[in-house]
Amino acid sequence: MKNLWFLGVSAVLSAVCLIGYFLTKNRADANPDDPKAKKTKKVFFFGLIFMGWFFLGTVCNILLGGSKGIHVEFEMFSPRVELFGISFAETSLIAVGVTVVILAAALWFRFFCVPKFSDDKPTKVQLVMEFTVEWIDKYTHSSVEAETGCLSSYLMAVALYMAGCAAAELFGLRAPTSDITVTFALGLITFFLINYYSIRKKHLSGRIKGMASPTPVVFPFRIISDIAVPVSLACRLFGNMLGGLIVMELLKGVLGGYMFGIAPVAGLYFNLFHPLIQTYIFITLSLTFINEACEGEGYVKKEKKAK
Amino acid sequence: MNAIGAALALLPALGAGIMMGFATAKATEAVARQPEASGKINSILLMGLALAESTAIYAFVIALILATSV
Repeated sequence: MKNLWFLGVSAVLSAVCLIGYFLTKNRADANPDDPKAKKTKKVFFFGLIFMGWFFLGTVCNILLGGSKGIHVEFEMFSPRVELFGISFAETSLIAVGVTVVILAAALWFRFFCVPKFSDDKPTKVQLVMEFTVEWIDKYTHSSVEAETGCLSSYLMAVALYMAGCAAAELFGLRAPTSDITVTFALGLITFFLINYYSIRKKHLSGRIKGMASPTPVVFPFRIISDIAVPVSLACRLFGNMLGGLIVMELLKGVLGGYMFGIAPVAGLYFNLFHPLIQTYIFITLSLTFINEACEGEGYVKKEKKAK
Repeated sequence: MNAIGAALALLPALGAGIMMGFATAKATEAVARQPEASGKINSILLMGLALAESTAIYAFVIALILATSV
């Protein structure tokens, strides 16, 4: 009943605003020096936007059910789905979907865009891709002093994966990165890479010596801080993504149909900007940790070889 | 009792907020003094903010675990 009242009132008011807007627009066009006509035109314009939003929000409320109050429905761990007799986490299936989309896009770029690349007349796609690849290459080489091999391509893959997960959230799916198993897997890969690059540069003895560098007393603490790296990376990403998810769910619950028009604005921040910042931070932290593990000591090893 | 625990677990957010403010203030000062170094300062600031933010995020995760496990 309340909704019908809202519907009628907002429809009448938006119609009034529409008529008023066109009337004042004609007057403002006829004499452009009149500041008062311009001002009333502006007032009617914003009134039209607000009332139109209210009207459409009420329509959404009637069609889809209204506000639920401050009541959030979310689960820390994603719900499970039965598929072929095996129980999968929902997020892992979404992650597979994201990976498939990214792979398909990569193949498409490789076979249809890259052969068309030319040095004389670069297309827009070529410029964007070259810029991205060059940036991540330069960033990796300037951050890590050791020989990095294909580390930059791995980081690019992680960045694309995280961006894809963030994009999946825009389609109403749960982002795979808001599942702690996914983020912990990414953290474990970083942990593996830290040890791999460090051992490759300094060998196992150098790595252990580097961990006991000032005094052997710090050795157990260094091990603990090394183990803390994947945990902290995983928890950071997970907490950020889950925080965004909860804020959006809360907004949806409170506003109901009036989420219409607010969702893209809030989602731009919580579902797009924040994950991208987190991606950048994940890459930066991975590079920092790898660089930290590769630092110093390696030179001593080289001198020994020379002798 | 769980709710009180969750609320107490969120106390680190206070420190994180204050210190992120300090960091941003210093970064603004640095950019005002040396505008040509703004790119480098920006990346260092983001990095520091991420590290400072992590305490607040750990607190948030712990509070969530406390609040959702009854």
